[in-house]
Amino acid sequence: MSQVPHAAPPPERLTADLLRPVLFTSWRFYVLALVPGIFVVAGLVSWLSQMFFGFGISGIRWPVYWGFYVTNFVFWIGISHAGTLISAILRLVNAGWRRPVTRCAEVITVFALMIGAMFPLIHLGRPWLAFWLIPYPSERLIWPNFRSPLVWDFFAINTYLTGSLLFLFLPMIPDFAVVRDRTTGLRHRIYRVLALGWRGTPKQWHRLETAMQIMAIAIIPVAVSVHTIVSFDFSMAPVPMWQTTIFGPYFVAGAIFSGIAALLIAMAALRRFLHLEDYLLPIHFENLGKLLLVMALLWGYFVFNERLVTYYGNGPAEMAVFWQTQREAYSPLFWTMVLGNFVLPLILMGIRPFRTITGCVIASIGVVIGMWLERYLIIVPSLGHKYLPYSYGSYAPQPVEIVITVATFAAMTLLYVLFAKTVPIISIWELKGGGHGAASVAPAVPELGPSAGHEGRS
Amino acid sequence: MPKWGMAADLDRCTGCGACVTACHAENNIGTVGASEAARGRAKHWIRVERYWEGDFPDVRLKFRPVMCQQCDHAPCEPVCPTYASHHTEDGLNAQVYNRCIGTRYCANACPYNVRFFDFFNPTWDKPLHLQLNPDVSVREVGVMEKCTFCVQRIKAANIQAKAEERELEDGELKTACAQACPAQALVFGDLDDPESEVSRLSRSPRGTKLLEDLGTRPNVTYLPRQS
Amino acid sequence: MKAIYALYPDGQSAQQGVNRLRQAGIADADITILSGQPIEEHEFGERDKATWMWWIACGGGLIGMAIAFGLAWVSEMSWPINVGGLPTFAWWPNLIIIFELTMLGAIIATVITLIVTARLGRGGGALYDPAVSDGKILVGVENPAEARMDALAQALGAPPGAEVRRI
Repeated sequence: MSQVPHAAPPPERLTADLLRPVLFTSWRFYVLALVPGIFVVAGLVSWLSQMFFGFGISGIRWPVYWGFYVTNFVFWIGISHAGTLISAILRLVNAGWRRPVTRCAEVITVFALMIGAMFPLIHLGRPWLAFWLIPYPSERLIWPNFRSPLVWDFFAINTYLTGSLLFLFLPMIPDFAVVRDRTTGLRHRIYRVLALGWRGTPKQWHRLETAMQIMAIAIIPVAVSVHTIVSFDFSMAPVPMWQTTIFGPYFVAGAIFSGIAALLIAMAALRRFLHLEDYLLPIHFENLGKLLLVMALLWGYFVFNERLVTYYGNGPAEMAVFWQTQREAYSPLFWTMVLGNFVLPLILMGIRPFRTITGCVIASIGVVIGMWLERYLIIVPSLGHKYLPYSYGSYAPQPVEIVITVATFAAMTLLYVLFAKTVPIISIWELKGGGHGAASVAPAVPELGPSAGHEGRS
Repeated sequence: MPKWGMAADLDRCTGCGACVTACHAENNIGTVGASEAARGRAKHWIRVERYWEGDFPDVRLKFRPVMCQQCDHAPCEPVCPTYASHHTEDGLNAQVYNRCIGTRYCANACPYNVRFFDFFNPTWDKPLHLQLNPDVSVREVGVMEKCTFCVQRIKAANIQAKAEERELEDGELKTACAQACPAQALVFGDLDDPESEVSRLSRSPRGTKLLEDLGTRPNVTYLPRQS
Repeated sequence: MKAIYALYPDGQSAQQGVNRLRQAGIADADITILSGQPIEEHEFGERDKATWMWWIACGGGLIGMAIAFGLAWVSEMSWPINVGGLPTFAWWPNLIIIFELTMLGAIIATVITLIVTARLGRGGGALYDPAVSDGKILVGVENPAEARMDALAQALGAPPGAEVRRI
């Protein structure tokens, strides 16, 4: 990691490259926006039809009352941990290689949170009354139950969403100033408003950096708490293989794991579509790939722990669920999950010749599929096999659930494309600022001619 | 304050299902139809579980009517985000349909699987719509429902006794299932009254509770078959 | 607003410009410095570093904690509802709510402090040149005395690569 050539191209080319997606639009943008947009509309139509025709058009049944929707909820909240890890943690330990990657990661966080936070609404029987979770004074004595994990979810996700939005937006202000200075007309006016009058005095830079430092310190415990609280949605209920203390750390580790995978996929797509080959370097993918490997090992450790303890505990109800996933009806999904989450990342990220950008993307896709299956396999087999065998049941998703699931992936793509069009996806000032820091090595790019002046690199 | 409970003598239960029918009639529970029932959407607030033991010809059949156990430490109560599921002073687990937003967490938390979700608005084929009980609400799509120990009958009996300025007597108040049972296998009453029939049965050396080791403290005592 | 300023291509020249302005008798508070990224390695980039923001963030956290505790205590004790045999004011679950609102308080306090102290969102009128976005460093004086303009222009123009402008 210490041999990273952080030297970005010279400032003029840097600014031009990173602003090009914002300032110029090609036909590819419209395709990339329209195709996911159609799926998103299909998802909205599905949800509306569920509200209109009744919740029964989904596959939910007695006793499996949570299915695809809660799986998606946990999955997307998990993906949202990408930004916190890369952006906040790497910022705090002064890892310079994070600079081109931070905004890509923070954007994933914000959008994944927004998508994930839709699912507590989608899975409600009466979503038009979801506002009852807000603690507002009411003459009907409507009040949320602070002892319920779902109310903890409400507070935690809102705190994390607010924090992440601010964490994303604050460093965008100087970049909005750059776009403001490069545009004219309506776009200039919009970005002038967004830039909030940013000028770049030393005082403003210091305040911004202090604020980011404080936010980074604050957002990490919030992120850990959010997915722990999501895990409490399961571990607070006496359901076989749910009521286990390992769920908190297991879910957080799994969240960071899936977040890194999502980030790798997003970075690879950005590199290809926006021609950012000089900014998102193979070394960035290698470093994140090594993190992916570490998280895969951690995931394997947690799963091994959970299952071995259950096996030795030998409770009849727990073992019924255990064998369902390992040997019986759910075993194809279980072993696919192990392949995607453990075997594939270990091979592709562990063996150096495989740790290329393509290798990272393949491993990441495997992890995304594997982590989605993991959420599904936590929820459905346990609910289908609780304590009384008379009430065992199985679950099969219906079209409305499948369409909404696909629509969320489309929504993520669409939001990401729209974001990359309106904001520089790599933080211009952070990349320029990184060239002056102690973490950089001698510039790999030759200086330009005399007209550009002498660059003061230390 | 009374503490309502039930006892089920499995020696007497024949598995006839009269309790299930009576409960449907008393509590305005809709029949969901054959296709929905096949998809697992049937709402039987009380159900008769049937277990087979052994192989032919030594087969034995066991019946167990299971309804909401009205647990003292009900796991369905802390998890409801809107207090729709909470504990009343007379020992019942109340389900307030108007507060329910349908998260279905309570149903997941219930180890007895006695909570049901309204997947569609209920419909009754004519002329069954004339048979609806005016004392019980009709639940709309998206809310959870479950056995209430016929709380409408409890309230009515309380009001009657108060009007007549007397105490409730044991056996005066019966839930629909207990009333309908031809073998008198189901007994309902006040567990805080040591003389009541249900108290006597709950103290029986045969008495067990369902899934007692989970710590839910259910208020239904089962007396297993002796033969 | 009148101003005289110079655009420098790098930090070294800008530092020389600042020094010359000081020699010409301009106080630090009257010198405007603008840059497209934080300049840490030169002296002029160090000004205005001290801040109360950390303390304000802690204060915001305490306020959030108090609000959460008050909300939970007052609402749960005023309308006690028995759920699952848990205590009326159960510490473990309420700590979760208190933690979340504490962090939210700290975050919001930080952002408000940033907006106020960095003077974000205020109207225009202050000295600015779009060349700053291209990587130039602007050093200048707003509303200088008319008599001093030539002396300042000379001081600003002396370091290498300077581009002096007046508005």
